[in-house]
Amino acid sequence: MKPRRVLAITRRIFAQFRHDRRTLALLFVVPLVILSLLYYLLRGGGGQPAVGVVNLDNGPLGAVVARQLESSSQVKASQIDLTTAQSRLRDDRLAGYIVLPTNFSSDALQQGVLRPEVHLEGSQPAQSGTVLQALSQSLLAALGTLPSQPGLRPPRLDLRVTYLYGGPQLDTLDYFGGAFIGLVVFFLVFVITCVAFLRERSQGTLERLMASPLRRGEIVLGYMLGFTILALIQAAEVLLFSLYVLKVHNSGSVLLIFAFEALMALSAVNLGIFLSMFARTEFQAVQFIPLVVAPQLLLSGVIFPVSSEPTWLQAVSRALPLTYVVDGLRDVMLKGADLSWAAIQLDAAVLGGFCVLMIVAAGATLRRRVA
Amino acid sequence: MAAQEDHAAEVTGVVKSFGRQAALQGVSLRLRRGEVYGLLGPNGSGKTTLIRCLLGLVKPDAGSVRVLGRLMPDLNVLSRIGYMTQTAALYPDLTVLENLRFFAAINGAEAHLTEALRFVDLEDRPDSVVATLSGGMRTRASLACAIVHRPELLLLDEPTVGVDPQLRRRLWDQFREMADGGTTLLISSHVMDEAERCQRLGLIRFGRLLAEGTVEELKEQAGVEKLEDAFLQLSAGEPR
Ligand SMILES: Nc1ncnc2c1ncn2[C@@H]1O[C@H](COP(=O)(O)OP(=O)(O)O)[C@@H](O)[C@H]1O
Ligand SMILES: [Mg+2]
Repeated sequence: MKPRRVLAITRRIFAQFRHDRRTLALLFVVPLVILSLLYYLLRGGGGQPAVGVVNLDNGPLGAVVARQLESSSQVKASQIDLTTAQSRLRDDRLAGYIVLPTNFSSDALQQGVLRPEVHLEGSQPAQSGTVLQALSQSLLAALGTLPSQPGLRPPRLDLRVTYLYGGPQLDTLDYFGGAFIGLVVFFLVFVITCVAFLRERSQGTLERLMASPLRRGEIVLGYMLGFTILALIQAAEVLLFSLYVLKVHNSGSVLLIFAFEALMALSAVNLGIFLSMFARTEFQAVQFIPLVVAPQLLLSGVIFPVSSEPTWLQAVSRALPLTYVVDGLRDVMLKGADLSWAAIQLDAAVLGGFCVLMIVAAGATLRRRVA
Repeated sequence: MAAQEDHAAEVTGVVKSFGRQAALQGVSLRLRRGEVYGLLGPNGSGKTTLIRCLLGLVKPDAGSVRVLGRLMPDLNVLSRIGYMTQTAALYPDLTVLENLRFFAAINGAEAHLTEALRFVDLEDRPDSVVATLSGGMRTRASLACAIVHRPELLLLDEPTVGVDPQLRRRLWDQFREMADGGTTLLISSHVMDEAERCQRLGLIRFGRLLAEGTVEELKEQAGVEKLEDAFLQLSAGEPR
């Protein structure tokens, strides 16, 4: 072993990096971006489910519990009236609301029973858990403020929980399953298309295609069809496996789920073709993967609900196609949404628009890279 | 214009630079129908760029290109042109026949697959995957893909580079055969001894056409015995 020969390799690698600014940027900029995103997602006020508190209690205890909830760091609680709470729950603006009924105090003091009602949105098990946890902590804290009466047992908790969608039987897989069906297909299709189209350039066959009567649109469309068909077969396989082998919960139409996956596969294929125009080597194309994957994984609502993000990050999320895929798939699978839902129509329309945009962009860049 | 009928291609005063790198600095040439025209020049002299201009793949900064009577770029002419790229650009994971069928299909002419295979002596290897072929076979397969749609004008970019002497001779026989059948061929090369087999030669250097004519004419013009000397003689004193 000769140190000089070892160092020759090391030095060559640094020389290569010096010529490859893009890789350097990837190495040093992307981690900071990803960590900052995480910071904003977790510390920037995001992550806390929004909770409504409806205090109807005639006695004093309800107000104490409400105040405890409002100061809880686990949830973003605010006092509202019942009708507002009900409509906000349906609009997806609340993870749940808590009703402290008229005789909440008297029940607690005379019968020794705490009877809060909890109405949960229910499609997000983690959020539901947080709400229940915050409530029980607030109840404990509220009881602690009462003057202690010797001989009196601490009141028993009689919790009534209802779910707008799903229910306690929904587990984390049910929640993530829908999103991951989309995620897996999107990224695999994107990567494969991107690299395949790039190979066309690097092996010189694109030059031949350009020297043939093929129009750019025909090339893009041909690619799109080929890879979309592959992607649809993959999507069907993933879907059937998730629903029937893994038994991921689904309350909606399987066909609608598949339609969403089809739209998404289309946008992934075209995104792949579009981005492959900006890479000269397969190595560079591979670098697009973290750039496309990381922000979408964090911001599309797969892990952290978009509604829990700081406002400016929500704007970013709404620019990502996967956000609409995840939202649509969850609406269908967890809430049983169908085509008549405005939310579903919106998701589908945005995805369709994204597909068209990508097709046009892919065609346009193909033209530019030839001259 | 009736005069154009005899010309398969007309390049007039074409200038092209890539950034600050001049590739063509005012090239004019005419390809007569049915001739074998040799474009002779060292590496980097602008041969590939000129061919890409003929195909409309490169937009000249100045000058014009007419091919088969049409001003380029024109997609509709492209099905009448065959193009063999400098390196054998094929799909390495497909078989010879699959490649051939694909290039025939995008030119809208799938009738002559076996004929094209026979022409390049690959009729016994249609099902070989291209990646497993030898370099010479790959070149032949690439040629087959360029001629499968029976083009009127065939542009071959250094087709005989890295090819053994037997195959080289065989290829030149085939080029001759195609020209006799009425096809116009433009063949670029940086090898002088092959050039003797062209009807006319153009000597290109630094993006300029230095001289043009038959082999004899060029030797005469330079007053030397060998074509190689003629090339050196004619390019001497050329400014960069
Ligand atoms: N796409 C391109 N971008 C930048 N420079 C180019 C490009 N194509 C050709 N060139 C330059 O133009 C000159 C002529 O190249 P080329 O036509 O490939 O020569 P030849 O085929 O005779 O070897 C060279 O200096 C080459 O570097
Ligand atoms: Mg060349």
